[in-house]
Amino acid sequence: MIELNPLAELIIMNFAIGLIVTISLNIEVGYLRIPQFGRLLAVIAGAIIAAAVPGRILALYLDLPYGAEYVNHMYNAKIVMQINNFLSKNPLLSVAVFVAMLALAAVAGGIIGYLCAYPALRLKGSYLGITLLTFGEIVTSIAWNYQPLVGGTMGVYMINPFAFVGGGSSSLIALITLAIAITLYLYAEILARSPFVRMLKAIRDSETAAEVYGKNVVKARSQTLIIGGSIAAVGGALWAIYTGRMSAASYTRLTWTFWPWAFMMLGGVGNNLGVLLGVLLFTLVRTAIIQYKYAITYIIPIAPEWLEYILVGLVIILVVMFRPQGLIPEKPTLTFPKRTVEEIKKRIELSQKESI
Amino acid sequence: MIDVTLIVKAVIYSISVALGAVGVSIIYNATKTFNFAHASMVGWGVYIVFAFFWFYRYPPELFLPLAFLFSGFLGIATYIIVNRRLIMAKASDINLMMSTLGVDIILFAFLNIFADYLMYTHKIGIAKGFVLETWDPRIDVLGIEIRLAWIIAPVAFITIFLSLYTMFSRTKLGIAMRATIENPELAQLQGINPEVVYLFSWFLGGGLAGLSGGVLGLIFAGKPTIGMETVVTFFAGAIVGGLETVYGGFIGGFLVGLSEYLIPSILAPITGSWVNSYRMVIPLVMMALTLLIKPSGLGAIIEKRLR
Repeated sequence: MIELNPLAELIIMNFAIGLIVTISLNIEVGYLRIPQFGRLLAVIAGAIIAAAVPGRILALYLDLPYGAEYVNHMYNAKIVMQINNFLSKNPLLSVAVFVAMLALAAVAGGIIGYLCAYPALRLKGSYLGITLLTFGEIVTSIAWNYQPLVGGTMGVYMINPFAFVGGGSSSLIALITLAIAITLYLYAEILARSPFVRMLKAIRDSETAAEVYGKNVVKARSQTLIIGGSIAAVGGALWAIYTGRMSAASYTRLTWTFWPWAFMMLGGVGNNLGVLLGVLLFTLVRTAIIQYKYAITYIIPIAPEWLEYILVGLVIILVVMFRPQGLIPEKPTLTFPKRTVEEIKKRIELSQKESI
Repeated sequence: MIDVTLIVKAVIYSISVALGAVGVSIIYNATKTFNFAHASMVGWGVYIVFAFFWFYRYPPELFLPLAFLFSGFLGIATYIIVNRRLIMAKASDINLMMSTLGVDIILFAFLNIFADYLMYTHKIGIAKGFVLETWDPRIDVLGIEIRLAWIIAPVAFITIFLSLYTMFSRTKLGIAMRATIENPELAQLQGINPEVVYLFSWFLGGGLAGLSGGVLGLIFAGKPTIGMETVVTFFAGAIVGGLETVYGGFIGGFLVGLSEYLIPSILAPITGSWVNSYRMVIPLVMMALTLLIKPSGLGAIIEKRLR
């Protein structure tokens, strides 16, 4: 199997995951201005479902312990290894398991999104942002403390659905994640040209006006939250599968909520191409900092990790202060290709001339 | 058997939460900015007390005013560099929130750099995990061992409460602040400069964050992430008390702090000790319930009753 250079793999994986999560954020924030400070919630829900459910079902099927022993750190590694052994002999089943993991995560994320619709109806602005942030913290706290779910503080190992390729399965996962990210990007682009998003933008710009024209604001809001939640949950599940471990400690509000916000604000809120650019720039700079950390520490005697933080913070402040529309500002999207629009224009002009 | 230490610690913790929550609501009321940078300002408060204590070896309580001043200046810097321009440009509250988030991330990075500096340059091995409580002077009163923090924290709390009360009701600046909060345009017509009010509220808010951090450091283990971990509780205190009222922060902070600390200890003998690990969930649930049932918080209800 192909094995990527570890650096390339890291860039691809970080970029793909960042793109997936940021796109989901952009659908909610860019098109409907929901202050989604609880992105972490859907992401961690996806990771939890992917870690807790398929492994247990396979353990049940293979007559392995699936209850409390499954998540016990004494047995978990052994059980997961046996499952991986079994999966490595059944490539077709493995792929089915992988698809099922993502599907389950998407459903979980969708349910989370639907549940978030209730506070989103009642609250506005910073109040809603704080409520969503709180929900994320509650779920993280439960995942961290409730051992039977995903092993609590010890975490659990993930089953590897690509064990059958032998070495280089992590490269394969990175490439598949990239493919999924690109697919989701294209989906978001198609969505951006759809009547649905035009309606969302109308609601965003003036809720009353949209209601006057008979648009169901409540339904639109919950649909948007469901779409965003499912996409983010898929991102969380993919990250857990890639790292091979699900531990609640690695899902913090900083990395899964605030950084995607920074990516989105840098690129341009409400613009998928901008989001892509923002994620790409951040991923490259972050990888460069990690790559040249010894050289950097040699020049400035601080840990490069904090340099990364200062950079993210500065970008957020500078973008908010001087370029709130981002690098690529949002433009009205054309429903038809430009040529078709021009043709229609010409035809209208012609008919006007004829009538004169 | 009532554990005295537990209750005293719960009260000191609540004092810290209440001070932090009041800081959040002062800044929110004056500038409509929900201050995420509170987390790092709290962290800086903890570290200022620790650093001064370590180099001068006086009781740590002595340096609480310094923590107040330092974080207050962080607040002023945040206002002058970031917040002022955004308020003038009439930025949306999401953008205001995001800008303070950026400030928070930068302050957090510098706090960690400071901790690294203490650890590697000054060879303080415990700079990233210290317990100030062990150096707290103890006094023996009638056979009960009392720590200095047990006296200083309530005194600091009452001082802050009384001075805020006096300021808002007696001084020109306090009344100007109230007027600006109620109606900025009308206040401006009366010759009140809103910038002074905004600046002062950022100073007060930041300072209270630093002070609450200093108090927190007296009873909990200090580490760079201490602010990040407790800031959600501060938000909870501010919201349960009512974000729109300044005094609500005192009530909400106390309620949230006491229930976070005492409910698990009361439940633990009945349900088993697993309850203790869910301590963090209590303030979060309280906050979520307040937001969903009565977003204006307890303070608004009490204010209505009093009228």
